[in-house]
Amino acid sequence: MNKVMSNKWIIALYVLPGLLLISVLIFIPLILSAYYGLMKWDGIGAMEFIGLENYINAIQDAKFWESAFHSFLLALFSTLSLVIYLAISIILASKIKGSDILRKIYLIPMLLSSVAIAQLWIKIFNPSNGMLNSILLGLGVENPPAWLAEPSIVLYAIFIPILWQYAGFYILIYYAALKNIPESLIEAARIDGATPFQIAYKIKLPLIMGVVKVTIVLAIVGSLKYFDLIYVMTGGGPNGASEVMASYMYKLAFASNDFGYGSAIGFLLLIITLIVTVIVRKATATKEEIQY
Amino acid sequence: MKIKKAFATMFVTFASVLLVAGCSSSDDNANKDGKKTVEFMHLWPEGSSKQHNKIVSDIIMDFEEENPDVKIDLEVLSNEQYKDKLKVLSTSNELPDVGMTWAAGFLEPYVNGDKFATLDDILEEDLKDSFVSGTAEAYEIDGDTYGLPLELNIATVFYNKAIFDEYDLKEPETFEELEKVVKTLNDNGVAPIALGNKDRWTGSLWYMYLADRIGGVEVLNNAIDRSGSFEDPALIEAAEKVQNLVDMDAFVKGFNGLSDEEAKSMFMSEQAAMYLIATWDLPNYTTNEDVPQEFRDSVDYFNFPTVDDKGDMNSFVGGPGVGLFVAEDSDVKDEAKDFASFFVQEWGEKSVTDAGVIPATKVDGESLDLPQMYVDVLDDLNAASNITLFADVQMSADVAQVHLDMIQSLFGEDSTPEDFAKEHEDALSTEE
Amino acid sequence: MGRIGYILLYFCLGIVAVFQIFPIIWLFLFSLKDNSEIFTGSPFALPSEFRWENYVKVWEGGIGGYFWNSIWITGVAIIFTVLLASMATFAITRMRWKLSGPVLGLFMVGLMIPIHSAIIPLFSMFLNVNLIDNPWSIVITYTAYNLPITMMILLGFYYTLPREIEEAAIIDGCSIHRMFFRIILPMTMPVMSTTVIINMIYNWNEFVFVNTFISSDKYKTLTVGIQNFIGQYMTDWGAIGATLIISVLPILIAFIFFSNKVVEGISSSAVKG
Repeated sequence: MNKVMSNKWIIALYVLPGLLLISVLIFIPLILSAYYGLMKWDGIGAMEFIGLENYINAIQDAKFWESAFHSFLLALFSTLSLVIYLAISIILASKIKGSDILRKIYLIPMLLSSVAIAQLWIKIFNPSNGMLNSILLGLGVENPPAWLAEPSIVLYAIFIPILWQYAGFYILIYYAALKNIPESLIEAARIDGATPFQIAYKIKLPLIMGVVKVTIVLAIVGSLKYFDLIYVMTGGGPNGASEVMASYMYKLAFASNDFGYGSAIGFLLLIITLIVTVIVRKATATKEEIQY
Repeated sequence: MKIKKAFATMFVTFASVLLVAGCSSSDDNANKDGKKTVEFMHLWPEGSSKQHNKIVSDIIMDFEEENPDVKIDLEVLSNEQYKDKLKVLSTSNELPDVGMTWAAGFLEPYVNGDKFATLDDILEEDLKDSFVSGTAEAYEIDGDTYGLPLELNIATVFYNKAIFDEYDLKEPETFEELEKVVKTLNDNGVAPIALGNKDRWTGSLWYMYLADRIGGVEVLNNAIDRSGSFEDPALIEAAEKVQNLVDMDAFVKGFNGLSDEEAKSMFMSEQAAMYLIATWDLPNYTTNEDVPQEFRDSVDYFNFPTVDDKGDMNSFVGGPGVGLFVAEDSDVKDEAKDFASFFVQEWGEKSVTDAGVIPATKVDGESLDLPQMYVDVLDDLNAASNITLFADVQMSADVAQVHLDMIQSLFGEDSTPEDFAKEHEDALSTEE
Repeated sequence: MGRIGYILLYFCLGIVAVFQIFPIIWLFLFSLKDNSEIFTGSPFALPSEFRWENYVKVWEGGIGGYFWNSIWITGVAIIFTVLLASMATFAITRMRWKLSGPVLGLFMVGLMIPIHSAIIPLFSMFLNVNLIDNPWSIVITYTAYNLPITMMILLGFYYTLPREIEEAAIIDGCSIHRMFFRIILPMTMPVMSTTVIINMIYNWNEFVFVNTFISSDKYKTLTVGIQNFIGQYMTDWGAIGATLIISVLPILIAFIFFSNKVVEGISSSAVKG
């Protein structure tokens, strides 16, 4: 048994194709972008080697840290929102009537591209004839805010569509994980007189904890490098109030012609993400993985 | 053994997929049939810019007919994608043979990096004296010209005559009159000015005009080319005036979060009375059949008013839009230059009659059958005492980003006029 | 939980459902409007007239070719991704070797690269091997960039697979390949379907790579069809809406199919219990 399951050739055969692919298409670009970070380069003319200057500047760049802070906030909210998605998934995966159709409906928004989602939420947030403000006015709120124009609000306003956009993704994963739990375990608990809450909390949750941990990492990593809706809906504005690391990096590299600096920021983004991920993995590690 | 075999098979398959894929594509400029291929990239997709797109196709067809040994290989992208792709292509030295560029600040790094060819030879022969003065110059760096401008735009304030009539308002000629108009409209619950400042260059137009009127035509240019300072009192005063307008609620609610397109639609659905935009928008107010006739009839424009009796209403903010470049490294540079030159010559009249573009080449407005508003704009252009190039185009990309961000901050009243000027001065002086 | 509890529960679920189904209805109405209605009217409002010409416009824009490219590129990339990810995850979680931890770490780092850092190096690499303007560059890029996230999702499930199955299979003299393809893959059907759905959505809606690596019209995908309606100064939003509706239909159908698979597959693993 052990011999078969540790055959080096088989391991290589199974792992190497994927590893090779990501080495060539992800790691080489990654190393190159770290290398570009050592250059003064507008992406057009000649490169000039300037050592760690870009990295040092980045560390002292208040705008970068502000955008990093925004990214961290997004990561925090994304992680917290997992609780809601988990709750919805537990309800959907239990045997209630209509759960099949509800599940499909719940996942529809995730099929839409960011272009469509951005347009939808731009319409919702429009300060004069958007849906949100129409409702607020109808409720008697005087002078509802211009959601995407107020520096103090814009970041939180734009988090809503981002979190909403990914809801389906996590619900889908949790749902599959919950459905993977053998029915007999739940049945046994029910016969023992456990309430649905107890079953969810004491049996289902521990059993899918491995998957939950994975989604925590995915939520954090996904948030720290998030770009799409920010870029389309606010462009990071007004004046940087909704800037995140990836949009800042993009702006530097593509709009400010500061490709060397942008690359350095991109590389720092990765390092920061890596550190956070390692910390989170350590914090959520348990001695043994559960099997059933 | 079996495993090793499977292992090998897998790699062979994998490698051959890559190999076959790699070899099947060939981007040599010389075709099998001995034709030369000129790659051309533009940003007028058929879906959104039907007339532009068609003119380009016609020009290409005509050119290929006249030059049977040359084939034009076309790629069309939308504006944003075009800019990004051009950037990526330039990093690998793979620019198309002919493409579109913007003037001044956009052009400069490409010229410094020896990516664009000089077009002085074309300008001195085929295209001698065919450009409106000042347009080709915007593509000039150190005495050589690197772009052939296609459009010329000036910004003016479009307004809704029906709304103005309803409240008995007339075209303001001074800033005080403009303020009165704003006040009257606000008192009557009409949003005075549509502004989409998410795009930032839109607010920059307002600032630039105020700077021009208060400090004269040179003050902003001097600050940018470093013969002057951005902390000039006139430039600070212009920033104060912007905030005065903001304080009077002159602009639509939430303008800093609205795109120019959203602002435009507010103006076009009569939810706002005025809209400062450049003349590329003329078709919407004249010939565009998708816009209700009634609305088009009720739109007129006025030149930006004077401020405290200062400034010249015939001085405009504007400049050439896109222009053609020829890549320095092109294998078919001669053909590419021929094509660029041919393009500009054919573009002129066709573009104004078919696409409603005001071309950078001289056209005789009288002899063409044009809507009245075009005739007026062409007259204004002839009478123009000065055209100040859009600030974000004048500046290098780096400084332009600072300028644009600060515009948003100024309009949002997150920065004082003094900070606004200081940030500019700092950004500009680090460039020197 | 009493009767009232259930009513309350369904009420909440119903509200959420309305919220979730609303976007697609909104998008459909959007696709039948013109720019002025889109910008000024309420998103809920019916168009003053149903502008089916938006769809005609989109169709005449040559969406058919883009459609086919989207389908095959998405499909091939999904097969590569899910297969390679399953194989690697299997070897990492089920087989015994010293480097499994670090190798898993490498795959996880692959998750973290922002794509805008990657496109310029990738472009120059593809240029060197003559893969620019070749749809295979897109296929392998999608495969590589979705591999880490696919593995992450598979990971949690592979850890929970019972060891006894492998032991039994090996005692029966089953080869590892046979075990993987005949036992493990079918057992992971629910999670594989999950990853297929996620990969499908990512590949189908992706446009940065396509725009950068592809220049010939004949290789472009549906997302590029959207670009066709974005102008220098004016954008035809109605037509974009129509393009979005046309492009969402195939994945909606595929989604419903694979979404059922997420549930179906369970029976096989539940048998064992």
